[in-house]
Amino acid sequence: MKVSVLVVAGLLLFPFSNVTAQEVNDAQIASIVVTANQVDIDAGKLAKSRSTNDEVKAFAELMITDHTSVNKSATDLVAKLKVSPQNNPTSQSLQAGGEKNLAHLRTLKGAAFDKAYVDHEVEYHQQVIDALDKILIPGATNGELKALLIKVRPAFVAHLEHAKRLQSSTGKEG
Amino acid sequence: MRTATLVAALSVVLGSMSAVTGDQPKSKTHTVTIEGMRFQPEVLTVAPGDTVVWVNKDLVPHTATSKAGGFDSKDIQADKSWRYTIKTTGDFAYICTFHPTMKAMLRVKE
Repeated sequence: MKVSVLVVAGLLLFPFSNVTAQEVNDAQIASIVVTANQVDIDAGKLAKSRSTNDEVKAFAELMITDHTSVNKSATDLVAKLKVSPQNNPTSQSLQAGGEKNLAHLRTLKGAAFDKAYVDHEVEYHQQVIDALDKILIPGATNGELKALLIKVRPAFVAHLEHAKRLQSSTGKEG
Repeated sequence: MRTATLVAALSVVLGSMSAVTGDQPKSKTHTVTIEGMRFQPEVLTVAPGDTVVWVNKDLVPHTATSKAGGFDSKDIQADKSWRYTIKTTGDFAYICTFHPTMKAMLRVKE
């Protein structure tokens, strides 16, 4: 019982931890990419409406814009390749992790909200970059899908850097 | 009469040609590629009157904005570009207002 709770908790925190590049196919990668972007768009929407810090709000707006653009490119490509995104344990746990994050954020206000949102953004972008490097890019078999993932990576790196800067500036707030 | 008209016409044509090929250096068009969340080249040197075209090859929107240089592209969407003819000399640092990690420099000198 205790162990299974831990496993579930671990999966929510590190949705990519038990997957390898060999185990994912392109349809699953498509689903993971779309879910990962959507989760961050949803968090961005909440932060945009709830944060009172201008820098945090601007960052949240950027996350909505950039991840929407990335998702548009991903869904366009998936349609062109005639791949149907296939639900899988990684996208499910990403989804569950995103919902858990939103539920937690909804309980917070002010500086505590900003801190929790930004901390999660740092963690989230780091996890997605790791997943791109270890699972998604090496796992993609279609050349165009692989190229898209490689093209997307620098945006996640820039977002991570941006979130880390916010982390040190909002950390001083309270 | 006919000859005079021809001579007049020819001198107009030649006159306008010499205006184009005169001593004035030709203004050039330079390209800055925005790709992988970077401006490339990061430092670009141009002459006054030259045009710079920023081409966004990323999947996300960017800007090329310099407070000191007085230029601001506003949103350059993915696969779109923005052109600007710069007239004043100087070193103009510019950024993408969306992504603070993106910085570059436009050097304008005679």
